[in-house]
Amino acid sequence: MGLEVGSNPMSMDAIAALLAERFAGDLADIRIQEPDTIRTKCAPEQLKDIARRLKDDPDAGYETLNWIAGVDRQASIESIYHVYSWQTNTWLELHVDLPRENPEVDTVTGVWPAADWHEREAWDMVGIVYLGHPDLRRILLKDDFIGHPLRKDYIDLAENHPHA
Amino acid sequence: MPDEFVTPEPDEAVKLALRRIDEATARGEGSDADGLAFNEVVVNMGPQHPSTHGVLRLVVTLDGELVKDVIPVIGYLHRCKEKLAERRTYFQYIPIVDRTEYVASMNCEWAYVMTVEKLAGIQPTRRAEFIRVITGELSRMASHLVAVGTFTADLAPLGTAMVFYMFRDREYILDLLEELSGARMMFNYFRFGGVRYDLPDGWTSKCRDLMKRMPKLIDEYESLVDDNAIFLQRTQGKGVITQQDVVDFGITGPNARASAVALDLRRSRPYSVYPELDFEVCTAEHGDIFDRYRVRMDELRESIRIVEQCLDMLPKGPVQAGALRAPYVITPPPGSCYVGQENPRGEYGTYIESDGSRYPYRLKYRDPCFCNLQLFPKLLSGNKIADAVAISGSIDLVLGGIDR
Repeated sequence: MGLEVGSNPMSMDAIAALLAERFAGDLADIRIQEPDTIRTKCAPEQLKDIARRLKDDPDAGYETLNWIAGVDRQASIESIYHVYSWQTNTWLELHVDLPRENPEVDTVTGVWPAADWHEREAWDMVGIVYLGHPDLRRILLKDDFIGHPLRKDYIDLAENHPHA
Repeated sequence: MPDEFVTPEPDEAVKLALRRIDEATARGEGSDADGLAFNEVVVNMGPQHPSTHGVLRLVVTLDGELVKDVIPVIGYLHRCKEKLAERRTYFQYIPIVDRTEYVASMNCEWAYVMTVEKLAGIQPTRRAEFIRVITGELSRMASHLVAVGTFTADLAPLGTAMVFYMFRDREYILDLLEELSGARMMFNYFRFGGVRYDLPDGWTSKCRDLMKRMPKLIDEYESLVDDNAIFLQRTQGKGVITQQDVVDFGITGPNARASAVALDLRRSRPYSVYPELDFEVCTAEHGDIFDRYRVRMDELRESIRIVEQCLDMLPKGPVQAGALRAPYVITPPPGSCYVGQENPRGEYGTYIESDGSRYPYRLKYRDPCFCNLQLFPKLLSGNKIADAVAISGSIDLVLGGIDR
């Protein structure tokens, strides 16, 4: 029989309570976003450890990484991880705040293999450095492109794309 | 010698392929069991190769006919769609969404409009919801016809017979959508709270006629390939996607369902009026090329069922919530939201962050093909190069969505 979707159905409140209990002190600001997403935050130093624990959780294992987005918040830069739990058929959005002058965070490619390209995209577009990534190259833009266009202070100059 | 004849420097992807060969040799993996050194060649496939269906470039490391390593290179169709969103109002941005995954534009618009509606708290009218399902499913059929048609053309046993039949029949669907929206492919049809136009006079009967004819046409396609010995030999047991791959790489859509994973957002996180409709989630067991083809053909039949049900259930009423026409300027309250939608290729969604102004603060696409393409190195390695072409055709990539 195949991989089942929603084999362990739980209410959103129950999942939020479960996460609050198991990740006490690690996951901050756990909020339910209707109808089926949980939004939460964590510190960049703990990301790798938390990612591993989220994936291996026996009741609500967030096994699949859906996407990663980098967002420039002017004051800081945020890396958002959107993961899917097959067991409970719900999503979780993990927000990690990074300092603007030095946006570095550990890679999660070891936990979720799909993170490879998504992290490359976030590096390419917003300039987040994923430490320990196996192959952190530009993905959508050319290799010799200068700058990260989805930063709010990016100014498009001809010098930025030499071979356009 | 003039400059243009000088061989350019290899770019990063080719350098990476060469470096991987050197590393393998240094590890002592440069020869086979008998001690014969591999004679590896790095071949650049694309970005204008006919079998990649777009501007996909694959840097393939070959040992004879055997694929040892694949490095996909994308970005040749990058049009800064996420950056464009920062300087367009929500309304102005609708036609741009069409151009991401241009084979199933209706579904892409739907995903974007649903996200904005959720952010702004707009509820579309019931008639509009049914029209959306009809257009979305027609778009899905048109998209699957392109997918299967071009894929069988890659396989050679039929030549281009199938692709011509399928493109002919896809044109019937596009005619319907053109009559509805005014455009053949770039529809610009969805609006916040509804759709742009109501169904024209006589449209439903034309649509019903086509839905009556379609099953026969699908039977005809299947009779062409299902018993074809060459087709079966080239597709069965090749390019298997395991369930672990589905979990690890976030594979969605028909590619996941062919591996016996009943993941269909229309069922698992129902949106619009799908909960009221009766349809099957089509799955297959082996996850090989043939099963992916099979799932798409089954889904064609299910889409016909859905469209027929919607035509029967179509309520009367306005197609736009609130005013007579859609609001030109909307300002969703600050916040963010992600909505995934079942596109013909898998989960297509947009993540939008609003800062309360007329423009999206950040818009991010989750594209199914981007995630499916990531599996390529694993999926193609160890196959013959001719099979690699068949496998990549069966994954059904649209580069417009990948590159954005």
